[in-house]
Amino acid sequence: MIKVLFFAFLKEAAGRESMEVEMSGETLADLKKKLSQEYRIENLETVMAAVNEEFAPDDTVLEEGDTVAFIPPVSGG
Amino acid sequence: MSERYSRQVLFSGIGPHGQEKLKASHVLIIGAGALGAANSEVLVRAGIGKLTIVDRDYVEESNLQRQQLYTEQDVHKKYPKAAAAKRHLEEINSEAEIHAFVMDAVPQSLELILQDVDLIIDAADNFETRLMVNDLAHKHKIPWIYGACVGSFGMSFTILPGKTPCLNCLLRTIPMQGINCDTAGIIGPAVQMTVAHQTAEALKILVGDWDAVRTTFVSFDLWNSQYQSIKAGRAKRDDCLTCGSDAVYPYLQAENTTKTAVLCGRETVQVRPPALVQLELKQLAGSLNAQGYDVKANPYLVSAENDGERIVVFKDGRALIHGTKDVVYAKSLYQKLLG
Repeated sequence: MIKVLFFAFLKEAAGRESMEVEMSGETLADLKKKLSQEYRIENLETVMAAVNEEFAPDDTVLEEGDTVAFIPPVSGG
Repeated sequence: MSERYSRQVLFSGIGPHGQEKLKASHVLIIGAGALGAANSEVLVRAGIGKLTIVDRDYVEESNLQRQQLYTEQDVHKKYPKAAAAKRHLEEINSEAEIHAFVMDAVPQSLELILQDVDLIIDAADNFETRLMVNDLAHKHKIPWIYGACVGSFGMSFTILPGKTPCLNCLLRTIPMQGINCDTAGIIGPAVQMTVAHQTAEALKILVGDWDAVRTTFVSFDLWNSQYQSIKAGRAKRDDCLTCGSDAVYPYLQAENTTKTAVLCGRETVQVRPPALVQLELKQLAGSLNAQGYDVKANPYLVSAENDGERIVVFKDGRALIHGTKDVVYAKSLYQKLLG
């Protein structure tokens, strides 16, 4: 299982703080696609993604037990 | 060393030598809103020698809840934030040299004031400005500290040209401005926490304690009691147009800067004239008055209101059109009144 965490306004968009998905062996890009298609969580391509607390590119292959965090960059100041 | 900084000098990370370095340093702050006001106060109290602050806006009542330098008097007088900040900062520390610019943060203007700047602090309210600052910082090899907040959420990242990934590496494209102070609001503690991270990094950089500089990207949510430090090293891209081997600084190119911008925090569009101008404000006030507007003016701006239309024009020709997010309407009203 892969644990997915949502931060800031994504929490509201996803309707939850976290979820678990069966995606071991697939990429971060696959995960974004799944979240958009099956859970209607949009605009994930403009959101920063970290795997196990490290920024990770879209082609990162997810492994059993990984934690993926989606963090939307904010612009207020 | 005067008694003034004695408690800070006692702190081992700073010491008398660090204090002297602070005194010799020049910090540029982009923006004088919540982050700009708080960052500038901390640094001026800490004893930096020179501070330059740039902002295009003026103080409004809804700012007072979190923009700590400003007072009801500033609201009443519609004082530009940069000018109001300068006045308050000089009262706090008369030893500091404060330069205030009431203007849009555009590359052509900023490049003129970047000389001898040791550090840039981001206190902007939009990504377009931040990516432009990111380009400028890399072109001139000046460290800069990204900071942003909204709701109870905030984030910060210290960017060292040539060492760390840059904001362009992290974002890749300008993100949707889906969330801002307009839609999600903001609480003071989110500002303070963001500023605490930015100013701690600023002090480390200014005293030259490079080993202590944070290398992780920090984000937190104070209402939901969350705090993350994310390792960023792998995010650096060699093909990045800002910090890669063939850097072209894309956000310094004229075609990437807009002439209109919707301001964060309220229903307002800014219209900027295509060329640099210096308006004769008295004359403008008279002309607006003759067109039926209720006019208020100070040395920096003219504010005019008529039948629900509210427009504020600055000496540099910029105007804020309030009560709208429609850039086409804002542009046409601007041209009608100033064209």
